[in-house]
Amino acid sequence: MPKIVQIGPYRPQLVEPERFELVVENNKIIDVNIELGYVHRGIEKLFTTKTYMQNLALAERICGICSGVHTLCYAQTAEGVLDATVPNRARYLRCIYTELERLHSHYLWFGVLAHSLHEHEAFLKIMGEREQVQDLLEYLTGNRMNYLINTIGGVRRDITPEKAEKIRKVLNNMKPLPSYILSLLDDNGAFTKKTKGVGILPKEKALAVGAVGPTLRGSGIKSDVRKDDPYAAYGELDFEVVTEEDGDVRAKSLVRARENFESVKIIEQALDNLPSGEIAVKLGKPLEKEEVGRAEAPRGELVYYIKSNGTNIPERVKVRTPSFANDFALIEMLRGDMLQNARVIIESIDPCFACTDRVAVVDTKTSKKRRMILK
Amino acid sequence: MSEKISIYRFMSAGCNGCDVQILECLVPRYKLAELGVEVVFTPEEANVLATTGGINVKGREELKKAYEKLKPPKLVVAVGNCAITKEIFDKGYPMVGPPDQIIPVNFYISGCPPRPQAIVTAIAKALGATLEEKEDYWATPEGFRGKHEFDSEKCMGCSACAQVCSSDAIDVLEDNGKRIIKVDYGHCSFCAFCQDECPTEAIKLTQEYHLLTDNRSTTNVTNEVDLFKCSSCGTYFIPVPQVDWALERIGNEVSEYKDFHSDLKTAIEVCLNCRREIRNIRNAKKLLAQLSAKVRAV
Ligand code: SF4
Ligand code: SF4
Repeated sequence: MPKIVQIGPYRPQLVEPERFELVVENNKIIDVNIELGYVHRGIEKLFTTKTYMQNLALAERICGICSGVHTLCYAQTAEGVLDATVPNRARYLRCIYTELERLHSHYLWFGVLAHSLHEHEAFLKIMGEREQVQDLLEYLTGNRMNYLINTIGGVRRDITPEKAEKIRKVLNNMKPLPSYILSLLDDNGAFTKKTKGVGILPKEKALAVGAVGPTLRGSGIKSDVRKDDPYAAYGELDFEVVTEEDGDVRAKSLVRARENFESVKIIEQALDNLPSGEIAVKLGKPLEKEEVGRAEAPRGELVYYIKSNGTNIPERVKVRTPSFANDFALIEMLRGDMLQNARVIIESIDPCFACTDRVAVVDTKTSKKRRMILK
Repeated sequence: MSEKISIYRFMSAGCNGCDVQILECLVPRYKLAELGVEVVFTPEEANVLATTGGINVKGREELKKAYEKLKPPKLVVAVGNCAITKEIFDKGYPMVGPPDQIIPVNFYISGCPPRPQAIVTAIAKALGATLEEKEDYWATPEGFRGKHEFDSEKCMGCSACAQVCSSDAIDVLEDNGKRIIKVDYGHCSFCAFCQDECPTEAIKLTQEYHLLTDNRSTTNVTNEVDLFKCSSCGTYFIPVPQVDWALERIGNEVSEYKDFHSDLKTAIEVCLNCRREIRNIRNAKKLLAQLSAKVRAV
């Protein structure tokens, strides 16, 4: 007799309280329903009540963790509407800020993974070390999150030689962390046992459901907006698009683990080759037109669409976030896997801390709810 | 409060930045564990509810339920500006309120997001403990965007800051010959657009970040300027310092205007309504003249 297991909605999770309904038979997940909307804030409507500049602050609050790439993608799209050409120095600075964000986001994700795998020591080590990136971002931008560093037409704060030195120093200090994380995914690594062979997303399925980012690259598909459709200074910097073949949670983790090295590489190159000059341009009047822009967020491809009617308030803004795209992949990954793997599978697309909260088990025969804790 | 603190996190409609800050508090350097504080995963185990984000239609009942299950003393801490005022999402159509419109809230920690340092210190304070903030990371770096400060010598009350504010955090109030610029930093996204836009560099975001309060109405910084009376109709309409500023600027940009200083001043001292009327009188005269010219021509 199949039973329905509910996860959420208010598990203290990071990206969005969502409600998962898993249909389970003999501990095997046979179907999945996802209910969204617990964090719905009416953002797309709000976009049409604020000016292009004010909307920067709104865009970054779609997601605090990848707030920087939201302002970047929004600014890049708005630059089409406002006919602005970003100065070279700003293009490089954007890469530096964006990759610092990718580092903190990936480290956070590993911290969360460690936590859900009950690897307490790894959790404290990763999260503890990660604080250095947060301190650095705060030092560079004035806030630990929601840095509002990108603006339409450039960036808001420069990186002085003194600040560049500090960045190099922190990256150097942190050199052991990416290697440590990679070692957790070795054949005997602490993360490997519970992630290998779990939540497999085959290549064809990944493509069919439109997965993006590490979720897609973990299924062996080389796709990354930074390479496929270069923006900022990515076209001029040397880095590799990391892929893994296995499609399981371990593969997705490996992609992120190896990406950490690439991010460090990108930042160091950008610092070495930082052009001189302005960091932002003055803006003209909005043109009457439509624009689409995309960027590679830590979780995958992010898309913005803006329709302008020539006033300083956009007529329509549409956002497609990577986690939304990956929710469909999640259904594929959960289906057919075991109930006890549900938590780590959910987390593999989407950081979530300690979703140990409410899970209600509904007996489909009696419709009686029992509560249990998924650990 | 002497018993152990067990915190349940209720993350609702915010950006989750605040929730991550609470998670970061668990890092040893913030010494949360030393205070005897733990984070638990069900409201039943908790005696403190830390809520982040505003509440939308889907979250209202869930928040009530979580609150009911809380153990005494049932303390509720609103972490971050979304949980204080809904902040930038204030006018979002699915939003039903900040938590304190749904359940009682005891403490508010302002920030977007508040630093973990602010959250830990606030908890210590609630416990009657003090944390030694010795290490470097307790201080904010230069350029940190914290609580606002007005330079009342410089602020001329022009309200440029209110116009560019990303989060409707700045109110411009007029009362009895005074204009009050009121920044609600509990409604603020700390974007610093106000600071960038201010023509006289009068408003600054400072490095102050310990923004704990138990009274929601105290999250304000204000500045007051005198208003000028229209020389024609007598209504207050423009801040006194703004008149001086405008005249000085005009003089600096086009030096010839300096000779007409008193004429310009007389012109500025007339409010918009009166100016419109004066212009209307002039236009009407012109029209009459044109009409009569036409009539004569016929
Ligand atoms: S207060 Fe700021 S950081 Fe906190 S949830 Fe709201 S938008 Fe995010
Ligand atoms: S920093 Fe200034 S402009 Fe930005 S939200 Fe706060 S009050 Fe408004």
